[in-house]
This record gives sequence, C-alpha cells and structure tokens, in this order.
Amino acid sequence: MSQIAANHPAPVETALPDQVWERRLTKIAADPRMTEDNIHARGVLGKFGLPLLFVGIAGLLLTVIGGFSMNVRHALAAYEVGAFTALSMSLGCLFFLLVFHSLNAGWVITCRRVFEHGAALLPFCWLALVPIVVIEVVNGGVLLEWVGGHGDDYLLKKKAPYLNTGFFIVRFLIYGAVWSFLGWRFISLSRRMDETGDRTLGRKARYTAGWGILLFALTTAFAAFDFLMSLDFRFFSTMWGVYFFASSALSGVSVVVLTLAALRLRGKLTGLVTEEHFHDLGKLVFAFTVFWAYIAFSQYFLIWYSNIPEETAWFVYRKSHGWHWLFVTLCVAHFLIPFLIVGWRAVKRNPVLLGTMALFLIVMTVLDMVWVIRPMVYVQTQPVLEAGLQEPGLSGIWLDAAGALGVLGIWGWLMIRRVESGPLLPTKDPMLHESMAHKNYV
Amino acid sequence: MTTFEPDQSIAARLTGLEPGAQPAPRRQKLIPGTRDDGTLTEDPGQRAPLVLGDRSFGEITDIVCGYAEAPMPKPWLALFSIFSMVAALGTGMILYLIITGVGVWGLNNQVDWAWDITNFVFWIGIGHAGTLISAILCLLKQNWRTAVNRSAEAMTIFAVTCAGIFPGIHVGRVWFAWMLFPVPNSQAIWPNFRSPLLWDVFAVSTYATVSALFWYMGMIPDLATLRDRAYLRLQKGLSRPFGIPMPVGKDIVVPFLPRPDTFRVLAYGLLALGWRFSSRHWHRYEKAYLILAGISTPLVLSVHSIVSFDFAVSILPGWHTTIFPPYFVAGAVFGGFAMVLLLLIPVRAILPNFSDLLTLRHLENMAKILLVTGTMVGFAYAMEFFIAWYGGNRFEYEAFANNRVNPMIAPYWWAYWTMIICNVVFPQMFWVRRLRQNPIVIWIVALAVTIGMWFERFVIIVTSLHRAFLPGEWHMFWPTWVDILTFVGSIGIFLTLFMLFLKFLPVFAMAEVKLVMPQAHVHDHDHDEEH
Repeated sequence: MSQIAANHPAPVETALPDQVWERRLTKIAADPRMTEDNIHARGVLGKFGLPLLFVGIAGLLLTVIGGFSMNVRHALAAYEVGAFTALSMSLGCLFFLLVFHSLNAGWVITCRRVFEHGAALLPFCWLALVPIVVIEVVNGGVLLEWVGGHGDDYLLKKKAPYLNTGFFIVRFLIYGAVWSFLGWRFISLSRRMDETGDRTLGRKARYTAGWGILLFALTTAFAAFDFLMSLDFRFFSTMWGVYFFASSALSGVSVVVLTLAALRLRGKLTGLVTEEHFHDLGKLVFAFTVFWAYIAFSQYFLIWYSNIPEETAWFVYRKSHGWHWLFVTLCVAHFLIPFLIVGWRAVKRNPVLLGTMALFLIVMTVLDMVWVIRPMVYVQTQPVLEAGLQEPGLSGIWLDAAGALGVLGIWGWLMIRRVESGPLLPTKDPMLHESMAHKNYV
Repeated sequence: MTTFEPDQSIAARLTGLEPGAQPAPRRQKLIPGTRDDGTLTEDPGQRAPLVLGDRSFGEITDIVCGYAEAPMPKPWLALFSIFSMVAALGTGMILYLIITGVGVWGLNNQVDWAWDITNFVFWIGIGHAGTLISAILCLLKQNWRTAVNRSAEAMTIFAVTCAGIFPGIHVGRVWFAWMLFPVPNSQAIWPNFRSPLLWDVFAVSTYATVSALFWYMGMIPDLATLRDRAYLRLQKGLSRPFGIPMPVGKDIVVPFLPRPDTFRVLAYGLLALGWRFSSRHWHRYEKAYLILAGISTPLVLSVHSIVSFDFAVSILPGWHTTIFPPYFVAGAVFGGFAMVLLLLIPVRAILPNFSDLLTLRHLENMAKILLVTGTMVGFAYAMEFFIAWYGGNRFEYEAFANNRVNPMIAPYWWAYWTMIICNVVFPQMFWVRRLRQNPIVIWIVALAVTIGMWFERFVIIVTSLHRAFLPGEWHMFWPTWVDILTFVGSIGIFLTLFMLFLKFLPVFAMAEVKLVMPQAHVHDHDHDEEH
C-alpha cells in the first residue's frame, strides 16, 4: 500500500491565540478604509433629520386635530398604520440581528450597526403603542371593540379569557419588556465590543440570540393577534403572526438598505459596505418580498377556497367596501413589481436603485398596514356593514397621511440621530475582517 | 517504496491508492481530555475547520473514491441483505394490494385516508432536507453544507421515490393511475384542475425531476474521477479481479470474468457525459448549479405547501387552518434533517475516514437546525390549538381537545402525545451544548423526531377524519398487517437504495469539499495570522 498520507498530527487546541487577535485588531484599525471620517456620519444626515422631525410633529398634530374634528376612529387607525409600520421595521431589524448572531454571519458585519440601531428603537415603537392602548382602554374600545366589555355577544363572551382589558395590558407590558431588552442588548454588546475589543461578547450575543428567537416569535405573533387580528374579534387565522412577521422582516431589511444607501451617497462607508453587501442585502429584500407574497397568498387562498363565512368576512368587507383597489395594488406593487425589479442582479448591486426599491417597499408595508387596519374604521360594526354606505372617499386621506407620516417621521428622525451618534459599523467585531473582504463570487 | 521512481509515484497519484485502500486514519480522534474533535471551537474570532486531519486534496479523493471502490465492510453487507429483504417484502405487499384491492388496508368509509397518505407526506417531507441543504444553504453560502449535500440529495431522491408509491397505489384501481396526469384521451375525461390533489401530482413530479437533475449534475465531476481512476488502474494493471462478497471470510474470486474496473469505466464513463475537468466545463457546471439551486429553492417551499393544501383547503376541523403551508415546510425540513442525521451518524462509524469530512461541528449545526425547526413546529402546534379555542368554533376546538389532546376522551391521545414528546420535547435537549455535540444523543433525538413526524401526519389525517360532524359517522381506524408491512417495506426500499448509494456513488461532493479547505484559500488576506 502506498504511504502518501503518513503524517496526521493530532488536533491542537483550537482557540484563537491572543496575539493573533491583537494583530488582527491592529491591522483592521490601520486599514485605510477605517478612517474616522469614513466610519462616522456626524451631521451628514442632518439634512434629512430635521425635516423628518418636522413632518413627524406636524403629522401627529394633524392626527390629533383630525381625531377631535372628524372621527376619532379614523384618526386612531391612521396613527396605528404609522405605529405598526414603525414597529414592524424595528422588529425586522431585531429579527435579522437574532439570525445573524445565531448563524455567526460574517458577511453582514459592516452593515450590522444599522440593524442594531433599528432594533434599538423598539422601546420607542412600544411607547408609540401606549397612546393606542390608553385611548382604547379609556374610551372602552374604539377600534378594538372587545376592550369595552363583552355585552351579549356569544363570541366575545367565549373569547373573554383572552380578549379582556386586564390580560391585554399584562401582555402589552410583556411585549415592551421583551422588545426593549432584546433591542438594547445587541446594540449595547456591540458598542461595548467597540470600546473594549473583548471578542467573547460575540458569544454572549450568540447566546442571547438563541433564546431571543423564541421570545421574538411569541411576542410578534401575539402582538399581531392583540392589535391587528382582534380589530375584528370574529376573525381568526393561525397564519396571522407569520403574516405580520413577513412584513416585519421585509420592512426591516428595507430600512437598513435605505439607510446604508443614503450613507454611501454621502460618501460614508466607502469600501466597507460595497456593492457585494448590497447584493446580498438585495437578495434578502428579494427573498422576503417573495416570502411575504407566499404567506399573504397562502392565507388568502386557503380562506377563499374553503369559503367559510366566519373567515371570508374579513376579506369580503375589504374587497367589497371600497378597498378592492388596495387589494389589487398590494398584489401588483407589493409583490409583482419588486419581484421583477429586485430579481435583477444589476439592481441589487446598485445602492441607488436598491435604496429606491427599499423605500418603495416601506411604502408598500404602510399600504399593507392600511389594508389591515384602515377598513376597520367603517366596516367593523354590524349596522354599518349592513348599511354598507359609508365607503371611504378621498376626503379624509390627509388624515391617513398625517397619522402614518407622524409616527414614521419621528421614527426616522430618531434613527438618523442614532446612526449619527457613533461609528457606523462595529469596529472590533471578531469577524469584521470577513465582512471587509466580502465577495459574492470568488 | 525503497527507491524513488517518478513513474510509479505519478501512477500512484493518478490512480489513488490500491483499489479500496484508505489513507491512514487520523491518529487522535478527539483532543485529549475533551469531547472535541477539533471543530467545536467556541471562539467568536475564528471559523471551525470543515475538514479535519490536515488532509490534502488527494486524500479527499482517496477517501471518497476509496469507499466507492472498496469491498464494503461486513456490517454493510449484513444491513444490505436485511434491508433488501424488507424492500422485497414491501414490494410483495404492493403486489398483494394491487391483486386484491385496497380492502386489504384498514380503511373504512369514514377514514378513507390513513397510513397511505401518512406515509406519502412522511416520505415527501423527508426529502426536503436534501433540497434545503443543496439549494437554500448554497444560496446562503453555508460552507458546512458541503459535507452532507450529496448524501442528503441522494436521500431526497430515494424518499421521493418512496413517497411516489403511495398516492399511486392508494387509488384502488392502479391501472387507472395514469388519469392523475392530464393526458388527452378519447373519452375527454380530465382530472379536476381545481383540486390540490392534482397540483400535488405536478408539484411532486417537478420536485422529483429537479432534485434528480440537481443531484446527478452535481455528481458528474465526481463520476468522472471514478471513471478516470478505474481506467488508470486498468492501464497500470492495478485492477482487482471480480470477487463475490461473502458474509464471512474472503471474497470468492472469479477469474474469467472482466474486472470490476471495466464495468466502472463503462458505467461511470457513460454517466460522466464526457466530463474532462476543463475550465470551460467547470464554468458551465457552476452556472448550472446556481440556476438549479435557484429553481429548487421555491420548489422546496411549494411542494410541501401544496401537500398542505390537500388538507387545508377543505372545511374539515383539524385540516382547515391557514398556517398549514409554512408549518408543513418547517416540519418537512425538520423530519428531513432528522433522517440525514439518522443515516449519516452510523455511516461515520462504519466508514471511519468520513468523520474527517463530517465533523462534530457539522452534526452540531444540524442538531441546531433540528432545534429550530422543532420549535417552529411546536409554535405551529401551539398556534393551531390557540386559534382552535380562540376562533370560537366548537367543532374545531373539539377536533383538537376531544379527539387529540385529552387522554380521557380522545381515542388517539397516544398518537398526539407521541407527536408532541418526540417533536417538541426531545429536540429541546439541544439547548445544552454537551448534548448537541454528542453523536449518540443526536442519533436518539433524530430517531425520536422521525417517529414523531410520522405520527404528526397520522394525527393530522386520521384523528381529523375519524370523527366528522355527525356522531353516527364516527369510526376508528386500525391498521391491518398489510398496512404495517407496506410501510415497513417502504423503509426497506429507502434504506436499500441508500446502501447502494453508499456502495456505488461518491458520498461527498469532492470538488465542493475541497473548495472549503484552507488550501483553496491561500490568498486570503488573513491567512498569515491563522496557525
């Protein structure tokens, strides 16, 4: 027998030697791309920040005015559209952080700080929901009919153990605690790593991500049940949590792409977030566009095919009460258009085009929330449904715009402030070198 | 070798080792004093090695081709004999069914789908891990997949083969099974295009076609390697004569027959389609690979989504629930990975050098996937149950509470709780690092999951059907011996095919394994600081 392979040394101790780690940090710090100017954005996005803050405050003021002068249900729905789009963007960022950490993803690290900022806004998103809870509880149910009590309705009485104000508030507090903790945890570990260069913090993040995914899934699903599905307490769908999650993941990665594209256009992160990173982020945008469509289609299709009245009602009073145009718009613009455009390689590798598509998809997420929330203003209560008359016109559309832009403007302003507040990427992440050298095809 | 003879050394390099010989095994399997084979580093600053033992490219070829060329070890022969007998038994059962009619199964007017469709969904689900590993993990550039993709893809094909049997034979008059396909015919009888059962025919046959193409195309370069090695051995006179393997003792040599390498040259040569390792071939290969990966990815989702439609479009309590499509996909990946682990952990033991290519880290990663998908499935169970209550529909709620969950009332409570314990409770062990790094524990959990996933389909199908809206229609299902032996036989068919795969085909994608080795990345900017 030939003896080609005679020498097989025993495995050696596998941890990375400290001097190698030190050398790697020095090498990265000395990298010409890691200049102070390239990885900080102080004042660079300020041009967008203040206008966003202005839009936000003006939008919220107009919503309040609309609530008093026109219709409090309409104003609240408009506000919820904004609040849930903001929440879905932040939850989406958190989801990707959980995934990146648990998969030990290397390519994304130069982009990861933006995800961390998005997730760190979860306490704000939660606070943005507080007015909704307060208004619902104080008024005894505005859009959430069941908050007011259960009356004689068979279903409401049956669902009372879950749909009751006390338990609702408890759940709401749990969501706040979980989201705030997870959102804070990743940015703080990442920032601490920037300061100390302690790479074992990466393990802590991975550890948190493991059980964080479980908490994320449960809180996202039940928050979607509590605030969105129970807008119509008769409706139920096991898919609902996944549906909201699909929007979250899509809008989360979209807002990150948008931020990174803006930074690149301002001449930041040159050579660090390259077209290779945009290509991969674009794949995520594409994948979750398709995933959203898959989930939305499956939910619609199964309900349509079985044709059970207690489920179809949800679609019937959307499609036949003046919202059919939105249904068609979502099919075409939330799926078909981005599917055809983002599928194209050149688009994914171009920050401007991909950023534009990301903005477009955030708008689509807003429309998706409109589709879920807004029809409930008119079609919810039985008498109105029977009358079938109060179909929405264009007259109140300013209020819808104001409500959505109000929350999103402030979210955007906070996001920009956060992005400008420190380095644009984790500067001492253990796998940063992989991300800096990331190539799709070698 | 005492003197250096260039000619002989080149011949040795080209032909590999003596047919069937393996390179020297690693001397120390584990780092002394640990359970770590050298891949279980938890340091966030570095990646675990994907190939152990400091192997060269040549040794990878020798390990993989060596096992395909060698006489298999005795345990293989014993197992193969048993499995093929079980497969024959299964084939016999199918024949008996066709001759006699579906009355030999335990079906009745109420439960008209039972083990047949349970087995179909079970096997189709098993297949999904292969496509997930080869397509989705390829698009996600998960390098560790190279250790398992070939065998998982093979498993996909065999599982789809087993799956395809059941819908075919459950129709009763099997000679009309061609009517599943929309074939133009003189009576103008068409299948119902609005039925998900028909979409299933398209989905599964597309899936089988693309998976087979993907698997075969990926194998072409490795088949060419096997062809070339056999050819060179023939040329250099290194070929072994033909021998009949015996359960004990040596093979019986048959001197006048052509040598096995002759057959190898012919068979592998035919299958390798003239592959010559030119850079042009590789270039096209990579393109085709990527395109097939792109096509397979939506297929993984669509196949099991459509299988879930078979149930979810109905109005039967327990079947109609909107989360079915993603829940079925997650369950399929879950069951598929369990099967991959169930097969590959013993393979590591029987063919020891494979444990250099399939390390503890690979097993740990797959264990983590089991944990994630198992918890996803658990999440779906919870959602189903919650919404069954929340929806306020009494029938829906009772289909869960009184037909499945409550041991006092539900006749099939044991099936439901087997499913919960096997699918949700067992994988939770993998939260503990020591457990998910232990091959024996992983194997036990994988076995539990495989059992649990079969029961999941049984619970969905039989417990929903056996009690419909009117108590007068209630009827229990009990399997007959034909039911049981047909299912056991399908396991036999699956395992027989897998054993043949181990014997005759390259179990690892050699080119891909080599691509993830450090030698392939000598120009990485960072290489000087590692080691």
